[in-house]
Amino acid sequence: MATLHLLSQSPFASRLDSVLRLLGPHDGLLLCGDACHALQPGSAPQQELERLPDSIKLYALAEDVAARQVGLPERVKTVDYPGFVELCTHYAKVNGWL
Amino acid sequence: MAKSMLLISRQSPWGGPGAREALDIALAGGAYELPIGILFLDDGVFQLLPKQQPAAIEQKDLGANLQALPLFGVEDLYVCRQSLRLRSLDGQPLSLPVTPLEGPELANLLDRYDLVITL
Amino acid sequence: MKFAIALFSPPHAPSSRRALRFAEAVLAGGHEINRLFFYQDGVHNASGGVVTPQDEADLPAQWRAFVANHRLDAVVCIAAALRRGELNEEEAKRYGRTAVSVAPPWELSGLGQLHEAAQQADRLVCFGGA
Repeated sequence: MATLHLLSQSPFASRLDSVLRLLGPHDGLLLCGDACHALQPGSAPQQELERLPDSIKLYALAEDVAARQVGLPERVKTVDYPGFVELCTHYAKVNGWL
Repeated sequence: MAKSMLLISRQSPWGGPGAREALDIALAGGAYELPIGILFLDDGVFQLLPKQQPAAIEQKDLGANLQALPLFGVEDLYVCRQSLRLRSLDGQPLSLPVTPLEGPELANLLDRYDLVITL
Repeated sequence: MKFAIALFSPPHAPSSRRALRFAEAVLAGGHEINRLFFYQDGVHNASGGVVTPQDEADLPAQWRAFVANHRLDAVVCIAAALRRGELNEEEAKRYGRTAVSVAPPWELSGLGQLHEAAQQADRLVCFGGA
């Protein structure tokens, strides 16, 4: 018996591509929540992150890495909440991608 | 001196309240005479298509609010060219006078503003 | 530093809990929060009507305690709240609604409050999405 699939969400959904397009050479990127899946070793998103210039610092929220048991690439530094706050003071402004 | 704010509007006009609620932040800022810019990115570029028919899905015309932006002093309007290109909209007429940006121009735009909200 | 914190996601979204833990760390780190601003679905974090299963984190209760304990300025966008059914006593009376879900320490106000907070803070941090 054939199935009718209902799809209502835009096909142009990827946020990671958009973030990477907007990153300046001295910006930082903090991955939280499900964005930590981008760290999955060998995955296409992880390879895209690897290609970013060294001047762009990569961070991941420690609790989310731990919850998901994701392998952590060497260049990614984990931060806890105090570290997250400190990063916000270090960069001139913070852009939360919703 | 007032801090400048860039709004990055990423949502399509009819996929939920996000596009309208992003615009409301811009209009409120303009009403307070704050320096506000808007970058239309990702599905946000769909807000710029002329001659849409939201009444067909019982929605209000967002286009009218967009046209009000200059009246509220919000004239720094930008669009991501790559977002247009990915949606086969590059080169098509848009309903607002937006400056297309691509590549490092996008990061440069962010650098010029004191505050950024991405919705 | 002075932080303005905005929240756009509902209580069950991970980003809402993340925003609260971040806000706690801001104060624990010796910084100030000049305003919390709830917008879009974030307005539901101010709801007194949310009933959370006993074995889950009760975000609205946690937010309320955090705001009250630290006497923070906590604003809920009135337009966003109305369309999502989160009304205080005044608005419920105005619109003839029986359900009152927003009460002090939460205040219903306009987007001007978000702009004012952003102008006065050293950092604006927005939470939402997932």
